Amino acid sequence: MAGELTLRVRNDTAELARVAAALEAFAAEHGLGDKDVFDVTLALDEVLTNVIWYAFDGGAEQWIDVRVTLGDLDLEVEVRDGGRAFDPLSVPAVDLALERPAEEREIGGLGMHLVRHAMHALEYRREDDRNVLTMRRRVSREEA
Amino acid sequence: MQIAESRDGEVLVLALEGRLDAATAAAFEERLLARIADGERRIAVDAGAISYVSSAGLRVFLMAARRLAPPDAGFAVAALQPQVREVFDVAGFSSVLSLHPSLDAAVAALR
Repeated sequence: MAGELTLRVRNDTAELARVAAALEAFAAEHGLGDKDVFDVTLALDEVLTNVIWYAFDGGAEQWIDVRVTLGDLDLEVEVRDGGRAFDPLSVPAVDLALERPAEEREIGGLGMHLVRHAMHALEYRREDDRNVLTMRRRVSREEA
Repeated sequence: MQIAESRDGEVLVLALEGRLDAATAAAFEERLLARIADGERRIAVDAGAISYVSSAGLRVFLMAARRLAPPDAGFAVAALQPQVREVFDVAGFSSVLSLHPSLDAAVAALR
């Protein structure tokens, strides 16, 4: 049984709580487990935060389109924004080697590290002056 | 996200409740910086009611640990919920921060 959730998100971090609530409601409706919901919410949060903080110039109101598609075996999240061309997959992976002191950790890459851990496949493309990031995660669903 | 303060001897306890994301992390950071400016040197965060953390929130914990480095100061985090603790683990922060299962243990570690 498939399901889809679409959200139009304003470039304001205050929107993150609303996105999380919408995902939680969608998850409850479709029998998604707590861990899947938490991890997908985190991945989407990190991507949206990066877009909100870095994609746009000036203080104008901008919109980010989110589409969540649930299939039988996996969940796909697409984030589409009209900000400057930026491939989040080009952000270098954070070095989490224990011997490096905390001061040297690349905090900028931490968000994408969390995204890569939560989502099993990531793709970026630039399309019609938009950044389009697609993420997928294998999920388990409780029988209705 | 709510922050409640209390004291346990020389340790300042900050009890956080709710989501710690890019919108709410700033308030946590401001409170920490304000209390450090006030002269606090041993701070424990009761994280039992934090339901969610993103990298924006993690940064604040790291900042606090740096600013309150031993031996003259200390920073400890207590009672992370399992799904929140996992974010710290994945980020590699569990080895850098002083994490404890209970507030009592966190406060004891700061004495």
